Amino acid sequence: MTSTTTTVESVTTANRLAAHGLDLRYGDRTIVDGLDLELPGGAVTAIVGPNACGKSTLLRGLVRLLDPAAGTVTLDGSDVHRMPARALAKRMGLLPQQPVTPEAITVEALVRLGRYPHQRMLSPWSKTDQAAVEEALARTGTAELRDQQVDRLSGGQRQRAWIALALAQDTELLLLDEPTTFLDLRHQLDVLDLVADLHAEAGRTVVMVLHDLGQAARYADHLVVLKDGRLAAAGPPTEVLTAELVEAVFQVPCRVVPDPETGTPLVVPRSRTRSRATGR
Amino acid sequence: MTALAVPVGTLTRRRARTAAWSALAAALLVVLTAVALGTGQVSLSGWDALRALVGQGDPGNVLVVQQFRAPRVVSALIAGAALAMAGSMLQRLFRNPLASPDTIGVTGGASFGAVLMLATGASQQLIPLAALGGGLLAALLLGGLAWRSKMAVTRLVLVGLAVQQGLAAAVNLMIVRFPAELAASAMQWTTGSLYGRNWTEVWIGGTAIALTALAVLLCQRRVAVLDLGDDSAGGLGLNPGRDRLRLLLLGITLASLAAALTGPVAFVALAVPHLVRLLAGPPTLGTLGLTALTGAVLLLSADLLVLHVIPVHGLPVGAVTATLGAPWLLALMIRQGRPPQRST
Repeated sequence: MTSTTTTVESVTTANRLAAHGLDLRYGDRTIVDGLDLELPGGAVTAIVGPNACGKSTLLRGLVRLLDPAAGTVTLDGSDVHRMPARALAKRMGLLPQQPVTPEAITVEALVRLGRYPHQRMLSPWSKTDQAAVEEALARTGTAELRDQQVDRLSGGQRQRAWIALALAQDTELLLLDEPTTFLDLRHQLDVLDLVADLHAEAGRTVVMVLHDLGQAARYADHLVVLKDGRLAAAGPPTEVLTAELVEAVFQVPCRVVPDPETGTPLVVPRSRTRSRATGR
Repeated sequence: MTALAVPVGTLTRRRARTAAWSALAAALLVVLTAVALGTGQVSLSGWDALRALVGQGDPGNVLVVQQFRAPRVVSALIAGAALAMAGSMLQRLFRNPLASPDTIGVTGGASFGAVLMLATGASQQLIPLAALGGGLLAALLLGGLAWRSKMAVTRLVLVGLAVQQGLAAAVNLMIVRFPAELAASAMQWTTGSLYGRNWTEVWIGGTAIALTALAVLLCQRRVAVLDLGDDSAGGLGLNPGRDRLRLLLLGITLASLAAALTGPVAFVALAVPHLVRLLAGPPTLGTLGLTALTGAVLLLSADLLVLHVIPVHGLPVGAVTATLGAPWLLALMIRQGRPPQRST
């Protein structure tokens, strides 16, 4: 298990994503409402919150898949929505929640597409491109799958192939939208360990949307808790994740105990049957 | 990790298969061209026909081949290639195996332009231009009506169908009021035929198609990135709505140019991408050449049938591609035994 309790000193100032008074809307519906937020550079940030709290929408706003109705998103101070698309794509990589796997594409062909922002219209495939692809394949353990069709892989393998695409993009920031959804426990941990390694060994700044609070506390240096499109809390998991917060945000009475493995906070919902039994 | 029993070297195998089928298609193309140039009231051997094409041999033969047969044959080759490439592009951009000029409005638009020109009694020479304009009009309608939904794929399919139906209805309204002679001429133009092509048309159309095809070729990386879905494409630095619109315009221009040369020949654009998929795998930069070759071969074969096998005078080639193409494609699909395109 990789330790993810990064010290404050190692959190650098570069690659700081921030939202200032950010409003995100789908049509008339306001999803994210006047959000002010600063994400530490060089760290792993997890965005958590109940269903429909706007966490995926926020991520889409941060990578500018969604234009803000008001407010701005900045990366190291410059407005993301005013940067050239290609320049932004060289700094920020994205793994969407539901990527579309092209029919019968092989793993290597998929990962090669991650080099798109680095290529010009007529530029041939370069050594740098191939090196980035090889590294991405190696890091994600998909090198031996390179000739297989992505649509025939298992869910965990497929997710790693998609992460490899984002890695080949060679960006300092990596944004992942619920990377563990639809995976069983082992493959969830595989993906999260991979993310932790990318941060620890390759120095990537990671921002990911997660569902599981225990996993978020374990793998993230910084936690962003959203409720109804507003910020409920933000900070290191040990400080943020309290029983009062979880009850207020998720409406779940619980105790928060130290994770016996890592010491990070672990949310244990109170048992209805047990409290009934003791009440009798 | 569970190792799946998939043979290694998929990419290499696909490339080899693409190359082999391309070589075969190219050979077939030469043979069919020779046959087409040599067949008619003056019968020539394939070799003599090819020699006559480059100005060698009996002057009478050279005249027949160069002035009467070659423009028609070359038109068929160019239009077939353009339609096939356009169909392949449209099916990828729409993420829909049914997308083709016939279902997104290009056929309706080109027919509309041509028939409008016939109705106004303007010069016949303006008809190709009008067909091109009509096809582009369809593109404008499509882009204009789908732009508000950011060119979302589901919306595009519906808007395309509506544009096609609307323009086809306008064409029918005009034809119903035509006198019989004009109606027959309109029928030729709306079905797609190769009668009466001349070298001027072939040169202009061919140059325009070659330039557009070159642009399509240069945009293949972009198309491949769009295949990953709008979110991934956005993350990789594309603007999915805008880029899809641009690529769509390119595909529609290609189809419209073909329609200007021959009228909107049905079915080639729909069928060829599926055939190529069965032969060589999913569309990539590498299969684009095979797609063009197959389209050319298909349209020329259909025209040979029209001219020399089917004993109906003045039959438009589009009627043959549709009647023979439909059951043939169905048979291929059934033999293959699986859906032609997976959506996810």
